[in-house]
Amino acid sequence: MISLVEIAERTQSGEKVEEKSWDMELFQTISGLVKKYGIAFPGEHCFINTDDDLVERAFEAGIECLENMGIYCITTRRRVRLTRDEILRAIDEAPTEIVMGEGKDRRVWKQRKVEGREKLNVCPGHHTPYSEDIAPLVIDNFARIPRADFIEGFNVTTVDGREIMGAPMEVYASRRQVGWMREGVRKAGRPGLAIVYYPINTRAEDLIGVMDPDHGLRRTDGILLTLLPDLKMEQDMLCAAIVYEEYGSFKLSGSFAIAGGFCGGIEGAIVEGIAKPIACMIAYRDYIHYTGVEHVHMLNARQILIPGITWARSVVNQALNKFTHTICMRWVIPTSGPGTELNLLEGAMHSIEAPINGMNLYAPRQCRTTTNHGQTPLEAEWMIEVSDAVIEQGLDRKGASELLAKLAQRIQGEQPQEGYSITECYDLAHHKPKPDYERIYSNVKNQLTEMGLNLPQ
Amino acid sequence: MELSNLSQEEKQLLASLGNAIVAIDEEKAKKIAEDIVNEGIDPNIAIKYSIADAAIKVGEKFDSGEYFLPHLVMAGDLMDEVGAILGRNIPSERMEAKKVIVIGTVQGDLHSVGKNLVATMFKSNGFDVRDMGVDVPSISFIEKAKELNADMIALSSLLTTTMPYQKEVIDDLLSMGLRDRFKVMVGGGPVTRQYAEHIGADGYAKDAVEALREVKKLLR
Repeated sequence: MISLVEIAERTQSGEKVEEKSWDMELFQTISGLVKKYGIAFPGEHCFINTDDDLVERAFEAGIECLENMGIYCITTRRRVRLTRDEILRAIDEAPTEIVMGEGKDRRVWKQRKVEGREKLNVCPGHHTPYSEDIAPLVIDNFARIPRADFIEGFNVTTVDGREIMGAPMEVYASRRQVGWMREGVRKAGRPGLAIVYYPINTRAEDLIGVMDPDHGLRRTDGILLTLLPDLKMEQDMLCAAIVYEEYGSFKLSGSFAIAGGFCGGIEGAIVEGIAKPIACMIAYRDYIHYTGVEHVHMLNARQILIPGITWARSVVNQALNKFTHTICMRWVIPTSGPGTELNLLEGAMHSIEAPINGMNLYAPRQCRTTTNHGQTPLEAEWMIEVSDAVIEQGLDRKGASELLAKLAQRIQGEQPQEGYSITECYDLAHHKPKPDYERIYSNVKNQLTEMGLNLPQ
Repeated sequence: MELSNLSQEEKQLLASLGNAIVAIDEEKAKKIAEDIVNEGIDPNIAIKYSIADAAIKVGEKFDSGEYFLPHLVMAGDLMDEVGAILGRNIPSERMEAKKVIVIGTVQGDLHSVGKNLVATMFKSNGFDVRDMGVDVPSISFIEKAKELNADMIALSSLLTTTMPYQKEVIDDLLSMGLRDRFKVMVGGGPVTRQYAEHIGADGYAKDAVEALREVKKLLR
């Protein structure tokens, strides 16, 4: 695979491009590829793609997009060009599984297959801000979920009661975050559970400052190094990628495309959604990705569901699983907050599509998350329950699509519900939802059962 | 001259200009703008009605999912070009000055998607938007706002650790005795209305559509 040092050199020597020109060129390129490869939403009845020929065309479009565009370095405002051969070699050389954690908590994260029957790997929590008073207890709670294979960090607004502002405080806060994570997983009786550092900020010093085999990030832990939307990289992330590549930690990335942005609509987002994880792999050596397609109006909680969004995600993930070694995860980001019926219904949709399209499951958290309002362990446990049921029931793409249609009919047109803070709807001391939330959960479970999903009672 | 004073043909010309902008038909829109100037229609009326109406329709198309961010960019650029053609013959004293907004993502933060959406929405609705980009030091916002005699500074932040820089801009404006000179609006993933009030911002919006509503309210 093309070396990270070679990428570093290209960020300094590539063609200079203004960011606006890049953005518009990306739109034109992707629009052209959507037409050229005949990528089109077949209609609102379709929630999971069953057209294997389309998957192949979409993959070709993704590769051609990366070949034509390369990656944009926002630090130097230069284009990092990639040849088709470099792209295909990188795809070929990427691993299909990642070993993480230590001792009895050691886990193997694997690439799944479309309609695969193995249970999903799971990251149950975080990637959302918490206040420092409850952070260690929150981690303890999420780490107690038996199926947790790794756990991700979180952001904070203060550390030791001090505001986090400027690089020195950020580095200190980063190290405290990882310290809290270590303490939390140890308290949960899982000292070897892999943790993934969620960057407090994306400066190189923040990313690298947590590296510490004794008290911080171990070689068996991971770090989130994400490409920005529209195939944009930054040198600070590349610095970290170079250092962690030698250190040994695994890396993961947010590799989804945002429909409504410069990639265009859901069809365009399919093209970027396929190109981006490959670009992340080449630029930062990310091998685990939350993949697929999101939409600006859903990320802003303006709309609970956009027609075609689950279909678009299915095309992306089927293509990545069929033609690359990308280890895909479904990032469950409901528009509704924790403690609500709609949050669990939205989570169910994601957890039905994940096993069918070959994805693992990644921390569910409200899209417009604010401090302590992002998630509770119940949503993670619920999504595990749903995805297991899908596998045990032997649902295929067609069956899952029919079930998703019923769910979509239930939530379509609803306004996202704001939700509650973790301490309002979850009892962290006893690791269980509060009675009101427990009732909502039972009700949602009944609704899914009535729709035809065989959930354990 | 008011809209009601125009003939049916002249009104039709203004409507066609708006439609061409909404359709992002550059050639047609520029041609109609030239025709409007040549017909002697008050360009201020064309700016006030055709462009303003087009801006609303483009925003609605984005909101409904028919248009995407690049369409907003193209429509915004086209409105600038059409505005320049229409403005050629307006004496400077009759030129209605656009409200100026300095916008950017605060220091230490490289996230641009939300900021781009808001900036483009502002631009396509007739504001003079100066996008400072990402990772912008607090003092740069203030210097640019002073230089342009801006009406508003709009600050985006997607990280809890960069939200304090929104406060820094406001605090710096206060210490420099400039707080009353510029409205300050904040937004971004973790930013809430409570936080905006806490740091003394004038406005807050949770997304681009709400931001446009808020800015119109603040700068009317």
